[in-house]
Parts: sequence; structure tokens; C-alpha cells
Amino acid sequence: MTTIPLEAYLIISVVLFGLGALGMIVRRNMVTVLMSMELALNAVNVLFVGADAHLNLVDGQVFAIFVVALASAEAAVGLGIIIAIFRLRKVDSTDEVVDMRG
Amino acid sequence: MIQWLVFLLFSALAVLSALGVVLLPNPIYVILALLSVLVSVAGIFFVAGAELVGALQLIIYAVAVTVFYVFVLTAVPWEKALKKDSHYRVEGLLSFPLVLLLYLEMLFVFLIGVSVSPKGQFREFIVKFGNTEVVGGILFSKYFLAFELVSLLLLIGMIGAVIIGRKEAQTYDNNTP
Repeated sequence: MTTIPLEAYLIISVVLFGLGALGMIVRRNMVTVLMSMELALNAVNVLFVGADAHLNLVDGQVFAIFVVALASAEAAVGLGIIIAIFRLRKVDSTDEVVDMRG
Repeated sequence: MIQWLVFLLFSALAVLSALGVVLLPNPIYVILALLSVLVSVAGIFFVAGAELVGALQLIIYAVAVTVFYVFVLTAVPWEKALKKDSHYRVEGLLSFPLVLLLYLEMLFVFLIGVSVSPKGQFREFIVKFGNTEVVGGILFSKYFLAFELVSLLLLIGMIGAVIIGRKEAQTYDNNTP
């Protein structure tokens, strides 16, 4: 049933996760930073499902469902925080949020 | 063979769209590129034989979360963000070799780990019952406590989003202590 080796899933997952982490560093707008985080979470899901196809298990798919649920909760709370920051401070860029500089 | 073709198609689409997520300046285009990544990853799930996760990816991510991002971009005026530079270019160029080194090392360790990991034997009950039934059975027996904790966490996230998103009486500019 599975003809695709685990290495292919690993390479795709590492590439997507690296792009997501780089996007979290590089992007300036806070909403796009959250979108890069979604990209990294999807890379983790690819690795879970690929390892499942390699090991002939389904536990990783259960964890992938958990990751999807956590990512949706994270998107709700994170975007709520961004909207709250924008409403209180009128900024939407990561270098302008300097309140906790100390 | 056709599995390889479909896998390579979705993988190439996912990587190209992920480059678009990182590089495109306009947030609307970034959302469209993210949607393309999510649909491609759902295709990779279908190739890997995980129908339930692929369908949930399409339903939850590609519909609900993306529409939510579009709603938030209508609340935050992204025209203001277009006037400035959309990336930290110097920091990106400085951190890119470090990130590349880290992920090459990760890939190296992963590939070593794959070469020594055992390949699971073929289990016919997955084929006999189908992917969704087996996933549901394991989810509601072995991981039932984790399932309940995730539902509790979704409730907490919903309450937190409502509390964070409510209207404040006073606004502050950026220089008030």
C-alpha cells in the first residue's frame, strides 16, 4: 500500500518547517507571523502522517488531529491578541510592540 | 508510480506556496499562498492513506482557519502595513545561514534515524476496517483522556478569545507608560 519512503515525507516536512520558522523570524506584520506558525504546524502534521504510513500505525494520525485542534485554538487566541493590541495601541508591526521592553 | 506522481505534484506545490508565504509582501497574497499550502498538505495526507486527517485538514484549516484570517485582516488595516517594508531584510539575511545549518542538521539526524528504524509490518485490520474506523477506535480508547483534555483546552481557548477580544473603555497610544 505504501510505496513512498519515509525519507520523502521527512524532506518535505523539514523544508516546510524551515520555511515556517524563517517566516516567523523575517515577517514584520503580526498576522503573517501567525500564518508562518500555521505553516510550521502543518509540517509537523506531514511528519506524523508520513511516519504512520511508514510504521503502519494510526497513532500519529490521532496526534495530527490533536495538532489541528490546538492550531485552531492557537489561531483564535493569537488573532484575538493581535486585534486587542491593534485596538489598544494602533500598531500591527512586531517592531512597534515595545511595551514590555522593561 | 501514480502515487509518486501525485506526491511529487503536491510536494512541489506545497514548497512553492510556502516560499510564497515567506516571501510575498501583501498579506492577502500570503493568505492565498497559505491556502494553497494547506490544500497541498491535505493532498499529501490523502496520498499517505490518512483520509480522516486529510478531510479534517480541508474542513478545519482550509475553510475555517483561513476565513478567520481573512476576517482578521479586514479588522486590521493592512494598507498601512503595505507602506512599510514587509520583511526584516537584514535580520533575515543574517539568520538564514543559521536556520539553514540547523535544518540541514535536523534532516541529517532524521535520515540516520530512518535508516535504523524498523518498518512496521502490514496490518490487515486497517485495510479491513478502513482508516476512519481505526483512528476513531484508537482515539476513543487509548487516547480518550487526551481527547477530553483537548476539548477542555478548546473551551478555555474560546473563553480566552472572547475575554481578550472584548471592547476596552480606554485606548492608549504607543508612548504611554
